[in-house]
Amino acid sequence: MNTIIQYYRKVELFFGNLKFAVVIILLFAASLAYGTFMESYHGTEYANRLIYKSLWFMGIQFGMFLSILFATLIRLPFKKHLAGFYVIHAGLITLFLGSYVTYQSGVDGSLTLNPNLPAREIQLNEDEFKIQFPSKGKEVTVSLPYGAFEKNLGYEYEGIKVNKFLPFAENEQGWVPVKVEDSSQSSTKYLLYNDNFSENITLSLHPQSDFNNTQQLGPLNVHYMPSSLLNCFGENTKDGLIIWNGETSGCMSPGPNDIKKLKNVSGREVIEVSYEGRKIRFLPNMSPLPLDDKMELNESSPFRVFSKKMFETSPHLFLFGKSAAFYNKETLKWESFASMEKGIALPWMGFKVNVIEHRTDAYPTMIPVYTKPIQDNGQIIKGNLKAVEVEVNDQRFWVNSTQPVAFNQNGERITFELSKKQLLLPYELVLDQFKMDTDPGTNNPASYESFVTLFKGNEGSTKHRVFMNNPLKYKDFTFYQASYFQTNEGPYGSVLSVNFDPGRFWKYLGSFLLVFGSIWHFVLRKKPILKPGEARA
Amino acid sequence: MLKYIFIFLMMSGSLFAQSSLNFCTNELETFPTQSGGREKPLYVLATETIKYITGESKVGEFSSTEAFCKLSLKAFGMPLDLPIKVKVDHVDVRKALGLNSNETHIPINNLVEKKAIIPQELAKIKENNSFKKELNKVQGRLQTYEAIISARAWSIPITQDGKIQFVPLSEFITEARISSAQGKGSNPIQYLFQEAKENYLKAKGDKYLLELKYYKWNFFTWALLLSIIGIMLFIVTKNKIPGAIVTGLSIALQLTAMSMRVMISGRAPITNMYETVMFSGFGALIISIVIFFMRKEIVFVVAGLAFNVLSLMMMKFANGMLDEGISPLVPVLRDNFWLSTHVTTVILSYAALALSWVLSNSLLIRARFKNVSSGDYRYEVDLIYTSIKFGVVLLAAGVILGGVWADYSWGRFWGWDPKETWSLIVLLIYMAILHGKYTTWIPAHRFVPLVAGAFMSVMMAWFGVNYILASGLHSYGFSEGGAVFLGSFFAVQIFVLILCGKRSTAAA
Repeated sequence: MNTIIQYYRKVELFFGNLKFAVVIILLFAASLAYGTFMESYHGTEYANRLIYKSLWFMGIQFGMFLSILFATLIRLPFKKHLAGFYVIHAGLITLFLGSYVTYQSGVDGSLTLNPNLPAREIQLNEDEFKIQFPSKGKEVTVSLPYGAFEKNLGYEYEGIKVNKFLPFAENEQGWVPVKVEDSSQSSTKYLLYNDNFSENITLSLHPQSDFNNTQQLGPLNVHYMPSSLLNCFGENTKDGLIIWNGETSGCMSPGPNDIKKLKNVSGREVIEVSYEGRKIRFLPNMSPLPLDDKMELNESSPFRVFSKKMFETSPHLFLFGKSAAFYNKETLKWESFASMEKGIALPWMGFKVNVIEHRTDAYPTMIPVYTKPIQDNGQIIKGNLKAVEVEVNDQRFWVNSTQPVAFNQNGERITFELSKKQLLLPYELVLDQFKMDTDPGTNNPASYESFVTLFKGNEGSTKHRVFMNNPLKYKDFTFYQASYFQTNEGPYGSVLSVNFDPGRFWKYLGSFLLVFGSIWHFVLRKKPILKPGEARA
Repeated sequence: MLKYIFIFLMMSGSLFAQSSLNFCTNELETFPTQSGGREKPLYVLATETIKYITGESKVGEFSSTEAFCKLSLKAFGMPLDLPIKVKVDHVDVRKALGLNSNETHIPINNLVEKKAIIPQELAKIKENNSFKKELNKVQGRLQTYEAIISARAWSIPITQDGKIQFVPLSEFITEARISSAQGKGSNPIQYLFQEAKENYLKAKGDKYLLELKYYKWNFFTWALLLSIIGIMLFIVTKNKIPGAIVTGLSIALQLTAMSMRVMISGRAPITNMYETVMFSGFGALIISIVIFFMRKEIVFVVAGLAFNVLSLMMMKFANGMLDEGISPLVPVLRDNFWLSTHVTTVILSYAALALSWVLSNSLLIRARFKNVSSGDYRYEVDLIYTSIKFGVVLLAAGVILGGVWADYSWGRFWGWDPKETWSLIVLLIYMAILHGKYTTWIPAHRFVPLVAGAFMSVMMAWFGVNYILASGLHSYGFSEGGAVFLGSFFAVQIFVLILCGKRSTAAA
């Protein structure tokens, strides 16, 4: 027994010591200061994950709690002159306990209300990963850790592996090797730049690539095509026609002698061109599809016909892997470049284009990469994507927070979804109207207000107004006006913050004791200030 | 269209063009207008706008009201050319606009010629740095100028059935209105303005003119002078009565000015940086007097006056950092009860901690350059300790009240918001010092420099959160007013600590 008491005394002396108090207070303050800088630079969620809701920060708070507790216990039995001190410390202990109750059992989320649609799903801060088997009517949910960094999960369910979770990510371009090289499915990364602007653009002809074969950059249209088409674009023919075989990627740019003009039964002009030993007929300026023997449009034909003239009125850049062509309005000619090794100058606003990487052995795709988020002017401008890596049948792929992914496993459809955890309310709210007043003569919001109907099941319904500093309280939950948004249809929707706080009473009690104790200890306990030469009693 | 009105006026025999110089007089200062969501006298709008564009409250020989009026009349084809020079603070922006690095202003005509440079430069910048911010500011100043000269910045009250609607000057002066006003006064334009003002006064009275008096009377400047005189009287004369009278007068002037501000804005005067500086200076003086009555020590009042002077000087001279204007509140702050209790308590706590800062620095410096007996040193440490105790109690109450307000408004007692977190950091730092004072770690000679240095945490919570953290670290630029001020404050305080810290040890 004595040993236990001695041991307790040591613990009490250690944690109740004033020096321990100074150290733990400063450690807590330094962590908070670090947190505010992280919050400023990387955003609220990153700061929460890294500091405020992390285990080590909980440890520091627990250290504070122990310091306060033992500093009180070590000063017992009760001494009258320390009455204020006891009240302060009792207040702090109550405050800590109340906060712990909130942390363990409280709910803090948001409810998005679209106009006139019932809503009951509270969105919480934590993330979860759902694996759904619609044919079996089954769903498996994986809780995702609330950390700031990439985390290996090592979760497996019926051959589906959930490998890792990235709480903050940014899609970056990666290359996926192809099994069989095919030059007609090439991909190229270019740098397009002038004195004021520079941008990397990646274009691909591979069907599985996340990148397209066209891109619009302001008024400039960029087209990516098989290299075999370069010659046809470079030639300056009178009609500017190009016949293209989609199967072989071959093409021809017929001159005046190659073209025969006919008429169809309705008297419309038909053009006939001989190419690859076949006679191709088509209706000029009507359709890129050729005509069959019955003079009808043939959708199954691999041939396509188009006129370069349609690309002469506005800026169009044609890229063919390592070569390029465009129409120059100054020379009134099509210009082609078989090599872009040193880059080529374009005839628009001093733009130049260079090849950065050209590949036929791999196709480009977007892969989420862990990225520390960056906040600018209150907005997260980088790293606001979350992603989970999944492995099914030795095939790895990413599911990110923007949309669910469907996958076929041995003929069975499986869907994967990364989203926020939800909590369903036992009642519904409907937004009847959202009203925003502005300051006179400006567009600055002066107040916003949600008019809602609360449907309580058998208990009927009631109407409420929720606005700043005027929340709706119903049963255990309180609903606060938090934000608003404009729907595609026009009217405004509203976001209410939803809160259930079982520790509220204790926090209020603790706060009261803390303030009351501080006044008692520091102000009411009047100790005279002795002037120089006066002796202390 | 507007130019046709001018031609119409000329043709209809109006003397508007010739009389424009007579029309744009300081008599227009009392004309009611609306801007930024509030109704105010034209003087306030004109001064705010001209100051925003040029950094000055006059344009050459013309007052802000005269200049604003004349510029507005340019929309009607008036051939006026005022020497407007637009303020450019950032050296790189000056260079981009073809100015020398020491030229602080660009003539408006030059800026109009070069305005295409601004979007070109903006397109080159990807991150939100101080250069980009200043470019945006210059663009904003140019746009404001363009709004004035197209008669869109000045709104005129139109009264119909007792209801007032404000319309831009460009819409107010119409052919129909001018025709209807022909022959009704010395000239139709003057008649229309006179009528608009009279109708407004009939409908809403002249309460808006209080703002004109508030700005014209300059009570805070007079209070600054009185507070300086008060300090001198307390230091120079043994009789404390003259000092007390002057201090009382300073308090009365500040209280009157703050009351006027409350009446104008309809809320507690603690909603932006300017007002918190104003209220903290006043609060420090009041708290020092309260402590004086409790502790019978005049040093507190001198320290209170010293901080009061610093605050009033910031209000007077730090216009780049503190915006004097009265603006409508964001929705969440529109709760007078919580605003008056929580913010007031926190600012008063900063004021009390400011007293400890003044006293500790004063002791540090005196101990460095003069002999301070150990008895005097200990006595002054007690004074500093007293100020901290008031500060800590008020701050604890303020932080808790903030939590209660947050719980009431947003449903969470604590959300780790940077402002609330920094107020907690301040409390923790002072608590660490108070706890450490009872250990061997912080004897008197360490207590004083620590208290002096701890006020840097108050400055961080007060200014740093708004001027450094709110803009994000990567956009952090020392060319911006608030950051320059804070950086200078930290540098000076650290310099004082390095210079005087060692001597303080010896003195103790």
